Amino acid sequence: MTDAALSQPLPARAVAVPSRRTNLRHLAPWLYLAPAAITLIIWIYWPLIDAFRLSFYEWNMLPTSPMRFVGWQNYANIFALPKFWQALSNTLVYVIGLLPLAVLIPLGIAIYTHDLPARSRNVYRAIIFMPMIIAPVVAAAIWRWLLDPGHGMVNEAISLFGYRPVRFLQDPKVAIWTIIGLTGWKLIGFSTLIFSAANANINPSLIEAARMDGASRWQIIRDIRLPLLRSTILFLTLMTILLGAQWSFSYVHVLTGGGPLGATTNIFYILWDFGFSTMSVGWSSAAAVILFLGFGAVAFILFRLMDRYSFHDN
Amino acid sequence: MTTDALYAPARSHVAPRNRARGKAGIRWNTAAGHVVMVVLSIICLFPVYWMIVSSFRPANAIFETTLWPSAASLDNYVHALKAIPIGTMLLNTFLVSAIVTVVQLFTGLLAAYAFARWRFPFDKAIYTLIALTWLVPFQVVMIPNYRLVADLGLLDSLAALILPHFAGALAVLMLAQAMRSFPTEVIEAARMDGAKSWRILWEVMAPNLRGTIASLAILLFISTWNEYFWPLLLSRTPESSVVQIGIQMFITSEGTAWGPLMAASTLASLPILLIYVVLQRQVIQSFMKSGIR
Repeated sequence: MTDAALSQPLPARAVAVPSRRTNLRHLAPWLYLAPAAITLIIWIYWPLIDAFRLSFYEWNMLPTSPMRFVGWQNYANIFALPKFWQALSNTLVYVIGLLPLAVLIPLGIAIYTHDLPARSRNVYRAIIFMPMIIAPVVAAAIWRWLLDPGHGMVNEAISLFGYRPVRFLQDPKVAIWTIIGLTGWKLIGFSTLIFSAANANINPSLIEAARMDGASRWQIIRDIRLPLLRSTILFLTLMTILLGAQWSFSYVHVLTGGGPLGATTNIFYILWDFGFSTMSVGWSSAAAVILFLGFGAVAFILFRLMDRYSFHDN
Repeated sequence: MTTDALYAPARSHVAPRNRARGKAGIRWNTAAGHVVMVVLSIICLFPVYWMIVSSFRPANAIFETTLWPSAASLDNYVHALKAIPIGTMLLNTFLVSAIVTVVQLFTGLLAAYAFARWRFPFDKAIYTLIALTWLVPFQVVMIPNYRLVADLGLLDSLAALILPHFAGALAVLMLAQAMRSFPTEVIEAARMDGAKSWRILWEVMAPNLRGTIASLAILLFISTWNEYFWPLLLSRTPESSVVQIGIQMFITSEGTAWGPLMAASTLASLPILLIYVVLQRQVIQSFMKSGIR
């Protein structure tokens, strides 16, 4: 490499190269950026703008049928639709229901089991992470079998204790909690591992010092561990609030189709339903815009809160 | 979003013994801890175990509730293979996942390099815009995306499954983060030696980022393998679709043929489970480093 540089006649280099080089220098980062940027523009940013536009039209996605401009009509229709409000309140139920499974219980388990020997911890680690890599559709298939009211293993076990079988996916009162439980099943081990890692990161001398001062186990958890785990707790809470309802989509789609009686539908499912079952592009796009703005607002507020309240331990 | 800062390889420090309490107290605590973990482990593992066990039960014993099958047969697999072209679908899934992984790593490396190497107008803004794509739920852009695929005449094709994944925010951000911690002296030295930026990327930076690249590759492969929503919108025929759609078709067409369904599910998860058995540590780490999505 050095040879090539040296063998160039110096004067020529000093005169001819600079202009070409500065040009290239200005262009280079853009060229490197182009493939990723173009992909994201084509598949995310432009569609986002397009969704805004389509939300003012009435159209059924058939290329031959006309697109009709209807102004704010789609939005008005959606807000007047009981199904939309049901989906919205279900979304809230999903998020609230998932928080214990994705944050609280894992946090408790991680703190409670932090002093298990490393060897057995590694075994548990490998096992409880497993649901995370199982495809949601496969998980849905397995649970459908396990929860079958007639012959499913879970109901066999319930009947062993003399109770009547639960119609986990068919009973409108139970179905949403079943879906929340399945979504939680996928996340609980993963969250536990995240908390365990953060917990193992706490400087042991802090704990030891507190012990010397006669702090009880609970005091140590309350005054040292929890504050130091705060940013992890906030992070997982944020993820659950933002993505909780989204994670359940596959289960809702495969297992209940939003039913029975709309009991398990949520805002993400209703978008799919509008767009690809009833083929009303305008409605689906308007719902998408509402979702995007709502999602963005929630995310903005949560990130602000996280910035303010997360504790930086350095 | 990354949990990079939160993750640390489980430090194997031995917890300092509690002096206020006797050894018996500690032993009891440890035992209770084991009980908690065993219960959690059973909850997490049992469904997967039950899937595999059920897939081997002969049709007349499918409703048995013994933990170990009294007789094993491959009938369910034969049935599943007849019902849907699962071999083709597995191959499709593999192709899609492998191509997405490679291409996304490639575009990610290029983009991350642009951010790590140069200051250019709007670089911060563009970086933020890439990060913000994370905030756009797929359901919001699905209709325009679907229309674009239809206009390109790519409905029901593997290409359509791959194209939108040519780049991803996660790969760009993770690689940019990794490159930022790369010592600039090394790059400077290579530049002094007259190496062009392209060669610096592939001969100096990339080899040093092997860890991050491997961990991203695992993550991208598994999440593409498990993807459901986008293939669901596009697929019309099983032969040109991925295995997740195969499972879904199976459920809708023969919902209560539990044995064959479990056989198909086992086949669909087998590659991922194999990767997990071999690379368990790395798989867990790569998921934990990159957050949940």
